[in-house]
Amino acid sequence: MTNDISKRLFPTTTRRQLLAGAAALGTASLFPVVAWADGGRLNVRAYLEPDDYDPLDASGFLEELLYGCIYRKLIQYVPGDQWDWQLDLAESIEQSSPTTIAFTLKPGQMWSDGFGEITAEDVKFSLERHMVDENNSRIRPDLGTFTHVEVTGTHSGIIHMERPFAPIWTIALPYLAGTIICKEAVEAAGGKITTAIPPAVCGPYRVVEHRLGERWVLERNPDFSGEPADFERVDLVVIVDESAAEIAKEAGDVDFTSIGPASVARLGDNPPDGSRLQVHPALFYHWVGLNVQNPKFADERVRMAIMHAIDVPSIVQAAFFDVAEPATGIIAPGLIGHRPETIIPPQADFARARALLDEAGIDRLEINIDVLNTVIHTTAAQVMQATMAQAGIDLSISVHESGSFWSLGVAADGERWQDLELTIKRFSMTPDPYYATAWFVTEQIGDWNWEQFSNEEFDRLHDEALSETDPAQRDEMYRRMQDLMEESGGYRFITHGVTANLFADSIVPATRPDGLPLVQFFRRA
Amino acid sequence: MSAFRHTLMGRLLADPLAVFAMAIIALLVVSALLADVIAPHDPSAMNLADRFASPSATYWMGTDNLGRDTFSRLLQGGRIALYVALTAVSIAGLIGLILGMLAGFGPRWLDNALLFFFDTLRAYPTIILALALAALMPRGLGTVIIVVVITSFAEYGRVVRTQTLSLKNAEFILAERAMGASFARIVFHHILPNVLGPFFILAAMNLPVVITIEAGMSFLGIGVPPGTPSWGATLKDGFDYIRTTPWILLSGGLPLILATLGFTFLGEALRDQLDPRLRKTR
Repeated sequence: MTNDISKRLFPTTTRRQLLAGAAALGTASLFPVVAWADGGRLNVRAYLEPDDYDPLDASGFLEELLYGCIYRKLIQYVPGDQWDWQLDLAESIEQSSPTTIAFTLKPGQMWSDGFGEITAEDVKFSLERHMVDENNSRIRPDLGTFTHVEVTGTHSGIIHMERPFAPIWTIALPYLAGTIICKEAVEAAGGKITTAIPPAVCGPYRVVEHRLGERWVLERNPDFSGEPADFERVDLVVIVDESAAEIAKEAGDVDFTSIGPASVARLGDNPPDGSRLQVHPALFYHWVGLNVQNPKFADERVRMAIMHAIDVPSIVQAAFFDVAEPATGIIAPGLIGHRPETIIPPQADFARARALLDEAGIDRLEINIDVLNTVIHTTAAQVMQATMAQAGIDLSISVHESGSFWSLGVAADGERWQDLELTIKRFSMTPDPYYATAWFVTEQIGDWNWEQFSNEEFDRLHDEALSETDPAQRDEMYRRMQDLMEESGGYRFITHGVTANLFADSIVPATRPDGLPLVQFFRRA
Repeated sequence: MSAFRHTLMGRLLADPLAVFAMAIIALLVVSALLADVIAPHDPSAMNLADRFASPSATYWMGTDNLGRDTFSRLLQGGRIALYVALTAVSIAGLIGLILGMLAGFGPRWLDNALLFFFDTLRAYPTIILALALAALMPRGLGTVIIVVVITSFAEYGRVVRTQTLSLKNAEFILAERAMGASFARIVFHHILPNVLGPFFILAAMNLPVVITIEAGMSFLGIGVPPGTPSWGATLKDGFDYIRTTPWILLSGGLPLILATLGFTFLGEALRDQLDPRLRKTR
């Protein structure tokens, strides 16, 4: 009977064939490794999902993660520990005068999908559309005093600025606003890139699929004119929660993710097998913002009482597990404009807060704080709630998911922005202080300036500093601007945090000095 | 004494499952009512020096990420859970009772309309409806209660309607009508007492469901505001730090399990005692 079954299962199998089959199976099991080495697939966690592929709608690094893979710029950041740039589309680029930059494109750089060669007209189109009011570009401030591009040839042009603009080399050209898109393809699409797949790309990868709320599937761009990307396929996997992202990393679902401070404190020098952990000082800034235009806070003593009642070290300890330091402003250490200390000490002074409320004739103050539904910000809010009660301030907490939260202070999204009280936010940052202060000028009220802070001296300094070429002078100006912010009673700076990346040791990640990934430069180990 | 044995309570006390259920419920109710007295610590008091403390004589169920005593927070959370459950079930039950009797006793068109209404609501996934409503309304216990009421009253309405329909043409009701009994007399003296049995069984069975919905909404961040001690919020805190401090999650789950067991067993015991068909088979 046994022999019958054996014969039915292996009708013509001899012992030698069985051994050969086993050997073949063993060899076959190596194929995934071989396949990885031969092209491979990379899964990178994305913490949010951009609305579309149009730089006009970009807001920060979440778009840059994707755009960096599919688009190019004249120059790009160099991965590593120093803030520097390298040539990308540009063959040469130089400051020809304080207000002009001459560039020449590398010839033969191609758009995908048959849209031909990348020309200076594409550069002109890409940069100038941010300056058109009707386009409502949210990153227009990135371009500062830029006015237009003068096309001098198929591959050459001159970037013109109204006045000297110091951050053009550190923000405008190598970051979001410097993204070059295909003029012909975008115009054919009606002037905006709102298609499910971008009509034309020029980066090392192209989008082959977008599964809403789940992932972008990118593949090596066959029309890419530079050195081919190291991975055959890159998936940008959308995982909002950092704890979930860490679990996904350990399960092998992603190869690279940032992790939260709690995990940094837990993992320390012992990351999981097959993984590496790198911790970078971040440029982000987390802060508690107070809407200074809200009638409830019209009395400066009330605003100052709230500021004195917020205990920054407790928030950093509880929400950031002491892996970060309290911030002194919106500009991180090492950058021009970093302040050595705050005006109001980071430690709360409940007696002073109470005294200020008494002077203002307030017994108990009931206020609300709106926060994003992240562990860090909800924890920070709870710490504030517990500590501020000591000064007679009852803080209620409203938690929002991402979409709802980021529309709270936007005038175009409803009336709520005028009634905001307190918020906790985190903004991304680039290595120039201009990028930090740009969001708090008067004209940003109703867009990014949720504190509705409006100060003539601040606006003037911001305007002057972007053209100031003396680093010492700029340093002084940005310090003063942060003093003004703090003196308004609208800002309590929390921390810059850290960027901690957990990644598979089978890849060599490329990051900016602040730890944010430049996926287009990732390589296999 | 003999008469007591034949009352509902007497019969329940003779049922070990019912006694076990009532003991659990009594424990939860008493601990919630006396939370302020029993709690060894202020449930909102933050103590960062002691955060993530393991269970000990000082902190029976350890502490959370802000150093708050988990046991004290669970006691307070019980108060919230029972408040939400009892309030929501009472309101939903009352609405369901009225609409169900209207559907069963009213004209055909009204029955059809209400039935369509009940089935539409019941077909909508609870959590999706909760997310939608939570996005439109301010966060808080009121919103949680409204979500639960909206998602659950149709079930009561359905049960009450079925009972009413079965009684509507019963001989004793027809006899009452023939003798000229008023509508109110028929409803309050005959229909209502007869539908209350299944109604209470359903209510008892629904209480743990409501408690779970409240916990689920708080876990998802659309229930009670952060900082409020609730079982769902404790579960969420535990989930965030499950790798280092699993006891927060375990502690948060314990009262939920007890509440579910207690109310479900009580519901089953009530069903056994109130459903004549089941009583005959025992």
